[in-house]
Amino acid sequence: MAVTMSGEVVLPADRATVWRRLNDADTLKASIPGCESLEKLSDTEMQAVAKVKIGPVSARFKGKVQLTDIDAPNSYRISGQGDGGIAGFAKGGANVRLSDEGGGGTRLAYDVDAQVGGKIAQLGGRLIDSTAKKLADEFFANFAKALSADT
Amino acid sequence: MYAFQYHRPETVADAAGLLAANKEAKLLAGGHTLIPTMKQRLANPPAIVDLSRVAELKGIDKRGSALVIGAMATHDEVAGSAAVRAAIPGLCELAAAIGDPHVRNRGTIGGSVANNDPAADYPAAVLALGATIATNKREIKADDFFKGLFSTALGDGEIITRISFPIPGKFAYAKFANPASRYALVGVAVAQSGREARVAVTGAGSNGVFRHKAAEAALAANWSAQALANLATPASDMMSDIHADAEYRAHLVGVLARRAVAKAG
Repeated sequence: MAVTMSGEVVLPADRATVWRRLNDADTLKASIPGCESLEKLSDTEMQAVAKVKIGPVSARFKGKVQLTDIDAPNSYRISGQGDGGIAGFAKGGANVRLSDEGGGGTRLAYDVDAQVGGKIAQLGGRLIDSTAKKLADEFFANFAKALSADT
Repeated sequence: MYAFQYHRPETVADAAGLLAANKEAKLLAGGHTLIPTMKQRLANPPAIVDLSRVAELKGIDKRGSALVIGAMATHDEVAGSAAVRAAIPGLCELAAAIGDPHVRNRGTIGGSVANNDPAADYPAAVLALGATIATNKREIKADDFFKGLFSTALGDGEIITRISFPIPGKFAYAKFANPASRYALVGVAVAQSGREARVAVTGAGSNGVFRHKAAEAALAANWSAQALANLATPASDMMSDIHADAEYRAHLVGVLARRAVAKAG
């Protein structure tokens, strides 16, 4: 099934810093909910393993993403796929745009377009959108915390 | 289902000990959420702690001005309980309309509340009635308990023992059930105690059960379905899925809130 989601979040750091941290493996590992490992294969390719727990469901996803349409420090597209074994899969991408926000902060806007398939889509169809939003919110809360910890 | 260790303790203390010894162990209450998930291999706990023989968790009775329901009371037991009917009859009706007979024979109030499925019925009643959730470690007020999608204030190894409902002046629950699963597409619970009105909505919010402040204010001033005639619910906070979109859910919240108030009397 298709999943589309857009949102905006204001982060407590300037644009150059946000851009740098979005591309930093350690920051991403600390931000992705349930992330167990994350390696940069190149400047534009990463792979990660994350354990996603929602209610009774607990599934481990192995993902690989590429960064394209890179316009530093303004925007990029992150796309790829995650394989959850028996739980199913997700593939798609997000367009991420940064802009300056008052008070030295940065506004990050994202548009996600993805396909979720397999058991989680079949059995959890009613929860996919709210789960995606919950995971996105958790990611940005963790990311903002990582940014503040540094300053 | 993958292999797992099965434990069936007879006391809460033993159950807590088993959880402490194995951080990945899961509690088994009615099993209608956990077992199907395990059968699909979407959850693989190494150990299950079955609470069905823990006598301390059963029982329904009135204690002073509160109705106290044991965590392992099944939906069928609550629906048929003379004590519940005498104190909060709307709760009997809510329990009688959960899922289907298979679910009602096994499902428990403790399991439902601990799981906090965003479409479950009990969380709306617990929140609207301002109940207190007692665990093996402390007591948690309903307003502090529900934290979002499948999220509660329960810590690791914490076990719900009973839920205490202050007996209200009026209470009713109205839901628009998904015709297949009987989950609440939208469910609204309303309670009145003295001049205070509490309204809790399940099934609709993108972040789980929530209190509808605008509805509460309108009903505190005038307890009637008319008071909610133009009740607005922001569609942006509503869940959209294959069953209903956000705007429809927002609309249903108003319809069901009015029906619940009419039912409550």
